[in-house]
Amino acid sequence: MKKDSLPIVQTENISRRYGGLMAVSELSFEVYAGEILGLIGPNGAGKSTTFNLISGFVKPSSGKLYLNGKDVTGRTAAQISRMGLVRTFQHGSLMKSLSVQDNILIGAIGALPAGQRKARQERVRESLQMLELEPYLNEIAGNLPHGIQRLVSIAIAFAAHPQLLCLDEPLTGLNQTEAANTLNLLRRIRDLHQCAILMVEHNMKAVMQICERIVVLHHGQMLAQGTPAEIRSNKSVIAAYLGAKHAN
Amino acid sequence: MDKRNGFLSVLAIVLITLVTLRLGNGYTANLITWMAIAALVASSLRFVTLIGELNFATAAFVGLGAYAAGLTVTVLEWPFFIALAMSGLIAAIFGFMFGYVTLKTKGPYFLLIGFAFTEVVRLIYTKLNILGGNSGMVGIFPPDYLGSSFTALAIAIVGIAVMVLYAIERSHLGKCFIGIRDNDQVVLSVGINVHLTKVLCLTIAAFAAGIAGGLTAFVNNVISPGDFSFLLSTFALAYLKVGGEDHPVGPIAGAVLLVLLSSLSLSFGGQDHIFYGLAIVLTVLLMPKGVIGVLGKVCRSVRTRRQERRA
Repeated sequence: MKKDSLPIVQTENISRRYGGLMAVSELSFEVYAGEILGLIGPNGAGKSTTFNLISGFVKPSSGKLYLNGKDVTGRTAAQISRMGLVRTFQHGSLMKSLSVQDNILIGAIGALPAGQRKARQERVRESLQMLELEPYLNEIAGNLPHGIQRLVSIAIAFAAHPQLLCLDEPLTGLNQTEAANTLNLLRRIRDLHQCAILMVEHNMKAVMQICERIVVLHHGQMLAQGTPAEIRSNKSVIAAYLGAKHAN
Repeated sequence: MDKRNGFLSVLAIVLITLVTLRLGNGYTANLITWMAIAALVASSLRFVTLIGELNFATAAFVGLGAYAAGLTVTVLEWPFFIALAMSGLIAAIFGFMFGYVTLKTKGPYFLLIGFAFTEVVRLIYTKLNILGGNSGMVGIFPPDYLGSSFTALAIAIVGIAVMVLYAIERSHLGKCFIGIRDNDQVVLSVGINVHLTKVLCLTIAAFAAGIAGGLTAFVNNVISPGDFSFLLSTFALAYLKVGGEDHPVGPIAGAVLLVLLSSLSLSFGGQDHIFYGLAIVLTVLLMPKGVIGVLGKVCRSVRTRRQERRA
């Protein structure tokens, strides 16, 4: 993490209102190059909306979004992705009727313009290797076990050449071994490619284990941010998760 | 397209073209031409199913192609090949505009808009005197120098068009189309402009449908608004469902089968619609993957048995 440098993503008092409900309110945080940041909070805290806001899938009601210091508020999801912020989805982040190879190719197509056929194939090969998916190269993605499907969805995003990889609950439905393997692969992606990772995850053990910094949301607002140790001992966080009597 | 499939496809087109050349201008040659044009219309419809949409505006694009060819030849008196190119081009231009506006909708909404577009365009033909109004346009003849080889040329053009559609389907662009059908959010999330990609798919399909329309005009010599109603899209859907939509050969097989059935129905006093209806019902009930699906299943089981025997 290089806090002295320009953040990859910076939100400035970003808010999103759905009718009478303020899903995200005045949220400001940064993600720096090479860091793994966790975004946690109880159900309905605004994590998914925050993900949608920074990836351009939802336009903010107010506030600003910066990518590498450039104001990208209101840009489309495709534009933001081409600028280096690529996300996965909580439910189904792949194309079920395509082979694993073709799924990852879609990611490479997004990153590399037409005419770069060889570069795209090279990117696919690199992603397959990075996520250890070579044995499943020609398998139809929809026929694969859930754990492998999760890796394919990360591989698609990785093939799109992200500076910041936003993962929406990448460990959901995985057993302990699969979760540990996925965490190792995420660390490898970060270490080898200096790619920052922002993850929403309910598996607290995994979040505490892999994230260098954590942002906690509650009722659409930032409740706390800090290192895993700071968050673990933060009374407001404990109260939000377990109730006020556990915080004392 | 892999080399083996490509070679077999070219071989099939050359063979059919040569057979048609031998047949000259007879009824059988005309029947084969009708099958080929129907196959191209159904292939155009299938092409848009790659992005997960059912394009009922296909009939409108066939009509636009036919009228573009008719106008180019009878009013502007331009050469045949330019007229044919115009039929594809005009349909593609309308396809782009139609797609740009309507492809923000999906599923039944897009289907209904396509249906309405087809009927509106058909009504416009009836109101425009330059297009012959209700009576349509007459005297759309292929050039004399083509003579009896026109039928063979039409089949060759259809063959090339179907092969180009298949080649696009197998290309990176084709993978994007299928990706959009499966999960458009993921395609968007990696930086691909989903809307424009869908519009491109529809434009290509409209070009193919326009070429089919141009050929229809030259084969029939006469076109009228009634030829391009929503029924044409329904027939194309029937070809697709009967043949099987999972493989590019499906619409060709469906068109061959149903156009043949329709021709046979003439000896029972017409009523080809009954054959179409019956074929769709039987296909849906007995062969949900169409004729090609059944053939594929048979081939696979034969291959498995052979492997078992060898083992």
